[in-house]
Amino acid sequence: MSEATCSACGLQASIRSLFDLNGQIYCAPCVQTAAGNAKRSGQSAAYMPLINRSICARCNTFISDQSTARQIGFARFCAACAPLIKDWSYPPWLKVSLAALVLLLIVALVHGKKYFHAGRAMYIGEHLVEQGKHAEALPYLKETLRIAPGSDKAALLAAKAALLTGDLAAAGKALHDHDDGHFENGQSAAFLEVNSLWNRANQALEKAQKASKLAEKDENSAEAARLMHEAASSYPEFTVLRIAAENLDAGAAFVRGDFDTYLSISENHWKQQAGPDTAISLANALACKYVLTGIIPLRERSIEMIEKSKQLAGGDAEALKALDEYIPLITYRIENRQIISKQEYNRRFRAGKNPIK
Amino acid sequence: MFFIPGPVIAALTFPGVIIHEAAHLFFCRLFKLQVFDVCFFRFGNPAGYVAHQQTENFNAQFLISMGPFFGNTLLCVLFCSAAFLPVWELKVFDPLAYFFYWLGLSIGMHAFPSTQDLSHLWAQAPALAKKGNLLAIVSLPLAGILVVLNYGRVIWADLGYGILVGVLGPIAIFRALAR
Repeated sequence: MSEATCSACGLQASIRSLFDLNGQIYCAPCVQTAAGNAKRSGQSAAYMPLINRSICARCNTFISDQSTARQIGFARFCAACAPLIKDWSYPPWLKVSLAALVLLLIVALVHGKKYFHAGRAMYIGEHLVEQGKHAEALPYLKETLRIAPGSDKAALLAAKAALLTGDLAAAGKALHDHDDGHFENGQSAAFLEVNSLWNRANQALEKAQKASKLAEKDENSAEAARLMHEAASSYPEFTVLRIAAENLDAGAAFVRGDFDTYLSISENHWKQQAGPDTAISLANALACKYVLTGIIPLRERSIEMIEKSKQLAGGDAEALKALDEYIPLITYRIENRQIISKQEYNRRFRAGKNPIK
Repeated sequence: MFFIPGPVIAALTFPGVIIHEAAHLFFCRLFKLQVFDVCFFRFGNPAGYVAHQQTENFNAQFLISMGPFFGNTLLCVLFCSAAFLPVWELKVFDPLAYFFYWLGLSIGMHAFPSTQDLSHLWAQAPALAKKGNLLAIVSLPLAGILVVLNYGRVIWADLGYGILVGVLGPIAIFRALAR
């Protein structure tokens, strides 16, 4: 066993029980006094077990008093470890790994670019929905769904925005393109809200369809208008229903001979939305009013609106076909100053042809 | 609550261990402290370590102890941000995104400094805080919280932190950017 001598009291003891203080060896009782003296004299008072000086602090190799051993701070190191302690370099594999990590981060950010785009659009859309700007939100949410049609959140937000702007087609597409309408959480607040909106919209549409069926017969026009108004008020966001209800009001007014109301509604529709359908409706109202009053400007304006309806229809075959059914009837009313119903006109002049419904 | 042995968790999330120790080493080198030994990863407890010389410089001690916390957290947020949207919000099945999410969470899970890292900080901070050292004042509650969270590892506090950072971090970033 290695032994050494205390420099203060001369005790010879195992190095395990001795201490080193500023290069001097002390036994346990003497080291306390020596440390106090060192402190008072401005020297370091830190001492360490002598055994620690005999072994490398890093690899535990016995170094005893080897001349190659180096003291660094309070610890001693063997010749092999000392350079490592001085400059512990990064291992090559770590450098490669960290470079790879940076590369992966770049790949991750580049790869995520399309998702950032989709996500940003979704958050903007969500923010706009929260502000009640549903029409503005819809294009953002559609953009998100283009990249991620499976996103529950985007699909529900898009459906909500679409339903609250009366865009049933967009709502249907957002919902059905999402895993055929299946959602992860059928009890979430967002799902329940959209489900409730969807049901409300569909119930309104059912009512509107019933109203349209009823409206096929003139005698049901008042009931049809009432039902259509119910549909429009239960789903006010779908403005088409309101316009349809007003159209039925106009139809009912025509049936009961209230041409002032009919003309007023037709004028409103024309002002709100200038199209071939509203133009021909106004032409008809003006023609009827002319039949009753004989006021020439009404006749002239009616003819003018017929021309306008043709212009607005342009090359739209469907619109032109619809106009073809009404223009002869309106022209007949103007030329003969006689109001006859569509059915009567069809009976007289379109027998054998496809009747107007 | 289910128990998974530490070495298994460390093996599943080894990138975080390596980055944690690399951050310790980086700050030790930055402040020119002697490094006695480094283990970047092993199947044991702790899964990695950096044995280094102690320092009286509190700033150095703070960064050596807390450096991995900030570094791992930042990398967790960055990797998870790239993967968060397809995995959590957009529900896009993209294996690469899942890989990046695993990487981000692995790094985030090993953000906590060890109790030993914190003990060095804890030993120096109170005296300096009394003298008005701002960093010491800030580090005291932070170290306190982290000590508690360290004990919370048995109930998956480290995973919780990773998820918190990897989910809430990106959400906060994207929401801020979208406004």
